[in-house]
Amino acid sequence: MRQLIYLAVALLLIVTIAYAKDDEDQVTYSDFTLNIGDRIDIGDYRAELIEIQSVKDGIAVMRISKVNGALDEQRAFLQNSANNFQGGSDSGGITITVTDIFDDQSAKVRVEYKESLGTAKKRTSERPAAMLNVPILSVQKSFDKNHISVGDEVKVTITVKNIGTGRAQDIKAEDLPPLPEFSYVVGYPPKIKDALDPGESDSAVYVMNAVKEGSIRVPAIQVSYTDSKKNVKSNNSEPFNILINPKSKANLILTLRPSGPITVDGKGMLNVSLSNQGEASATKVKVEGDIKPSDGLVATGLDKSFFEILPGMKENYSIELSGKKPGNYTVTLRSSFFGGDGAMIQEGRTEVVVLDREYKYLYLLLIIPVIIIVAWMYKRYREYKY
Amino acid sequence: MLNVLMLGVGQCGNRILDAINKEAFGGGGASKLAKYYLRPKFPSRVETLAINTAINDLKELKFTTAKDRLHVPNLHGVGANRNVGKQAFMDNRDVIMGEIEKRGDFDVAFVITSTSGGTGSSFSPLLINELKRQYRNITVITIAVLPFREEGSIYLQNAAFSMRELMDVEAEGIILADNQYMKRFSGDIASAYDKINSMIAQRLLFLIESLDSEMLSVTDLGDFKTVMNGGLRIGTLGFYKADRKNPSVKDAIENSLKPGNLLYPANVTDDAARAMIIVQGSREHLDVDEITKEMEKLSSCAGHVFKGIVVKKGHPKVLSIFTLASAPELEAIYAQAARAMQDEKEKRVRARKQLDDAFAHIEDLEEIY
Ligand SMILES: Nc1nc2c(ncn2[C@@H]2O[C@H](COP(=O)(O)OP(=O)(O)OP(=O)(O)O)[C@@H](O)[C@H]2O)c(=O)[nH]1
Ligand SMILES: [Mg+2]
Repeated sequence: MRQLIYLAVALLLIVTIAYAKDDEDQVTYSDFTLNIGDRIDIGDYRAELIEIQSVKDGIAVMRISKVNGALDEQRAFLQNSANNFQGGSDSGGITITVTDIFDDQSAKVRVEYKESLGTAKKRTSERPAAMLNVPILSVQKSFDKNHISVGDEVKVTITVKNIGTGRAQDIKAEDLPPLPEFSYVVGYPPKIKDALDPGESDSAVYVMNAVKEGSIRVPAIQVSYTDSKKNVKSNNSEPFNILINPKSKANLILTLRPSGPITVDGKGMLNVSLSNQGEASATKVKVEGDIKPSDGLVATGLDKSFFEILPGMKENYSIELSGKKPGNYTVTLRSSFFGGDGAMIQEGRTEVVVLDREYKYLYLLLIIPVIIIVAWMYKRYREYKY
Repeated sequence: MLNVLMLGVGQCGNRILDAINKEAFGGGGASKLAKYYLRPKFPSRVETLAINTAINDLKELKFTTAKDRLHVPNLHGVGANRNVGKQAFMDNRDVIMGEIEKRGDFDVAFVITSTSGGTGSSFSPLLINELKRQYRNITVITIAVLPFREEGSIYLQNAAFSMRELMDVEAEGIILADNQYMKRFSGDIASAYDKINSMIAQRLLFLIESLDSEMLSVTDLGDFKTVMNGGLRIGTLGFYKADRKNPSVKDAIENSLKPGNLLYPANVTDDAARAMIIVQGSREHLDVDEITKEMEKLSSCAGHVFKGIVVKKGHPKVLSIFTLASAPELEAIYAQAARAMQDEKEKRVRARKQLDDAFAHIEDLEEIY
């Protein structure tokens, strides 16, 4: 508004000057900010902003016409270069310059003319803003699992969707750089359709293999595309962090628990438990045992096998022992299995004591007199208690 | 083997019996725990029985088995009253005698009692009569304990009357032990009792052992009876144990007769009627000539003297048993008792008279309301 007042004051001055210098016709200019469809009227001239062809290159299209039909021209204006019509302002025509392109909807335009043509005025377009024709691509990158261990296969899905209103063309997806923590198995680099209409989407999948443990930042994927006016645009997915755990392995723990000392010709039990405390299954588990010294303690059911022991699970079984000769024996059990990292071996051992038969009587020899003495003293106590 | 019955009647008798049972666990001071690992060792078959009307006195015993303690229920005890005591015995005679008969036949019985309490002094004469009736050939010896003289007139009176009854019964004799005489052994009453009781126990066990042994010189139950029958049929015991410093058997015999080793104050040379001297020890200490010489010395004043010699490893031990021809100390007790009773009677008459004088004030008056 204030500008208008200034303008009015300026015009008044100009008119005053014009009256003062009657035959001298001065060139003047006005700046207008135009949206697409808006136009400037000066005398018989009309200058309308038709479209912004390229913001980046600074090209806007305007239509210049005259009411009497002597002029009707649509021309692409390069930013900051003056275009003369009917001789330009110096010769009674007009000169138009696109001084600035704000976006693909608006630009700043300067018009120069002889004062005698009157005052330039802006006419705002009454028709609704033309349906926008802008493609917008959203892009996503996702892994099919959150927990990855070395050796695991990961499927990566790239999804691109046109959520804008115009067709996207020359679509290029760039998933860079290839990460050293993975080996790329199939489908890399991902390929996305060349063009997507509004609402249309496309995805690509590639498979890779985790080869190194560590915490990594998965970089974004970038798509670039152009709209119908060859404007180049781009968008990218959010980068995210993921942890690659060390390779999961089975960890079989062998525990041997003998039921106690065995006497010569007596029997005992050796309870064995195989517990998988690792993260991977132990498969083809085979347990073999041996006893040292090799004679004097006989075990039945020393060897045993299991098809699979799942992580966190436990298998129990018992070995029957029978003593033949007194002594201390070492029972060693060796389990071999596959557990994620090739063949593995675990050992467990325990001591088993075979007692001389007399020991039992020696034991009684101690207990019985104590019992007898206590019983005797109690009897005496009763005898004398009145 | 002799069958011996030992009866402890009343608190005094019970405690002496307990001392005997203790002694049987091993000479000298047997440990309190001895009963848990030892068996009492009596030289013969000895049965002991503690009889009392007071259950607390029985509970106090430590070395006597429960089955050897007989409680004779009497509503309020006997309270030193011998008449109440006699009634209680008669009421429970079958129970008491049944308890004794259960234990079989006996050759000798020792009845141990105080003369001055209520229970023991009244039960004992009656009990002796029952024993004599029940066991035809039994020898009954009374062990009678005389009171401290200052214990009061009732105890003195009880002692006087019960002694008379004990002398009247058919028992073979009385062995006296005098608390008054022996109290000099210890300062306080409790330890004096313990000392006296163990002295009595030691002598009695030695006597039983000797009577049941093969002796070199023959003394047996018959001889013992003869000794106890002498004089007043009242006797006492002396004992001496020689040691390494002086193993002389001669000195041991003399010492056993010295006042300090007797249970009752007597002068052997003046008062003894019959005596028996039992010597025990290793053969090398037992010089028969010396022993014989000592005996002869004694016979010259004490009438007949029996001697017994038991060969057993150790320094000489001598037990002397003698009966008295006269008992001046006993007479003194009777005199004291009579005086006390007389005093009491007079006091009573005087008191009665004073009361009567007091009553005289209201003689002719009536109660007015
Ligand atoms: N030598 C000795 N005398 C004792 C002992 N205990 C009590 N006397 C004496 O025994 C007399 C009292 O007799 P007790 O045996 O206690 O009386 P009791 O026969 O139980 O009769 P009551 O108690 O009256 O029913 C007193 O002269 C005490 O000095 C003791 O352990 N040893
Ligand atoms: Mg009493």
